[in-house]
Amino acid sequence: MDWLRRNWRAWSFVGGLIAVWAIVAALRLVDPIVLPAPWNVARAVPGMLRERLLADIAWTLGRVLAALVVACVFGIPAGLFLGYRQRAYKVVEGPLHALRSVPASALFPLFLILVGVGETSIVALAAYPSLLVVMVNAVSGAALANQNRLYQARLLNLNSLHMVFDVLFYEALPSIFDGIRTAVSYSLLLVVAVEMFIGLGERGLGRAIYLYQSSYRIPETYGAIMIAGMIGILLNWVVTKLQHHMLRWLPNVREEQ
Amino acid sequence: MMSGPALSSPCPCALELEDIDFSYATRFNGINGALYKDFSLRIEPGSIVTIMGASGAGKSTLGRIMAGILIPQKGIVRRSPDFTRPSDLVYVDQHPMNGVFPWQTVLENVRYPLEKLNWEGPRRRDRICYLMTLFRLSALSDVYPAQLSGGELQRLALSRCLSWKPKLVILDEPFSALDGKVKAEITSALHELALKDRMTLVLITHNVSDALALGMRCVIIARRPVQVMSDLDFHLGFPREENTPDYDAMQQALINGIRDGLV
Repeated sequence: MDWLRRNWRAWSFVGGLIAVWAIVAALRLVDPIVLPAPWNVARAVPGMLRERLLADIAWTLGRVLAALVVACVFGIPAGLFLGYRQRAYKVVEGPLHALRSVPASALFPLFLILVGVGETSIVALAAYPSLLVVMVNAVSGAALANQNRLYQARLLNLNSLHMVFDVLFYEALPSIFDGIRTAVSYSLLLVVAVEMFIGLGERGLGRAIYLYQSSYRIPETYGAIMIAGMIGILLNWVVTKLQHHMLRWLPNVREEQ
Repeated sequence: MMSGPALSSPCPCALELEDIDFSYATRFNGINGALYKDFSLRIEPGSIVTIMGASGAGKSTLGRIMAGILIPQKGIVRRSPDFTRPSDLVYVDQHPMNGVFPWQTVLENVRYPLEKLNWEGPRRRDRICYLMTLFRLSALSDVYPAQLSGGELQRLALSRCLSWKPKLVILDEPFSALDGKVKAEITSALHELALKDRMTLVLITHNVSDALALGMRCVIIARRPVQVMSDLDFHLGFPREENTPDYDAMQQALINGIRDGLV
């Protein structure tokens, strides 16, 4: 429970919010249909878990991770190569930023036509803005790479592959992680939204939230929403841990100052 | 890598700058006045040359022009026909963090260039062992550059940049973060490497004792546009002993040379 003790202020704040919720519910200040009491939500959770929740979590998580993998596997190398060869980047820069500006949710019908109905279209839709943001961050990370170090690397007569994956990748890694965080937000948002409004097999957290809400099982709705939030927190925590591990060699700028 | 015509005549020297014009164009206030105008310098192979000047004199710029990092606006940078690969000529930056890969440990930093330059296993291992011992980095094998002190970082940058036996090395302020004892060790290490691997060394510094520690020839530059104020040859043996009459004489000659440059 060391982390509990260390972040006691944060936990106290969360506890305070739940306490306010409990008080509001106990005093019936808000209609229980709109805002169920926290204990009712908690009581609903075991039932949800038995019903379908674990499968839903697995499906949503699976889709989000698939989208992130696609975004990273294609976005990072593409971004690094473009950042390294600025001439190539200048050519695609305009269309790239135009693509980024189109809200991905608006493109879902297009994805349905292009990719077809099914898992592929959900993952493709979630991967689309994720890939773009990871790629753009990789480009800027590579462009900001330490030129003196690149000179040292060039002395070694590295081929493009080594230059990009042994040197530029690490130079751009802090930028890339910023991109990955944003990609996590995009992916989770789009997967849940598509699950909610399109259906596609009646599986996933978004679907669960929608079904609970439309059958007026409000405590379950709140429960599912909160669990979706916790998935987001969990994903962010994983990315942070990964970042701390992969960037453990980073000089601490604050110390130098 | 060459500016001007390719080698028109064989160059017996290691490096030659001929009638170099260079200036930094700044976006803030237009061309900043010519830094180098019709500047010439010749480095003989196997020599250890020190380029001395006050801070801001243009020494690092000269080092970069020699290395091919900066391209002069006019003039020829002629390199020995011996330099067949990019790795034959190295410029070691003033800030040691620019000469190492922060994401690799000390050992990986020394090993990576040798791997990429295709040194075979046993030869590579021997070279790594030799360098780590010479620069006293063996105890720091698994440490990341961010955790090293300034002096350790400088030793790492030096050992890394010299690992593949380059033919010409331009060292920019290599001793700035080192104290007397470590400096003496590194100086003798550099001298040993220069002799063993038959390197030509160009040292850039503004510190008189650094210049006297290693150089066989000292070029003092000053003024705008940069000119060679003095070109002194040393006849001191190695290792250099301070407080001997020869040493003091050379030290005085250097100080006089610098003082003339400031006037």
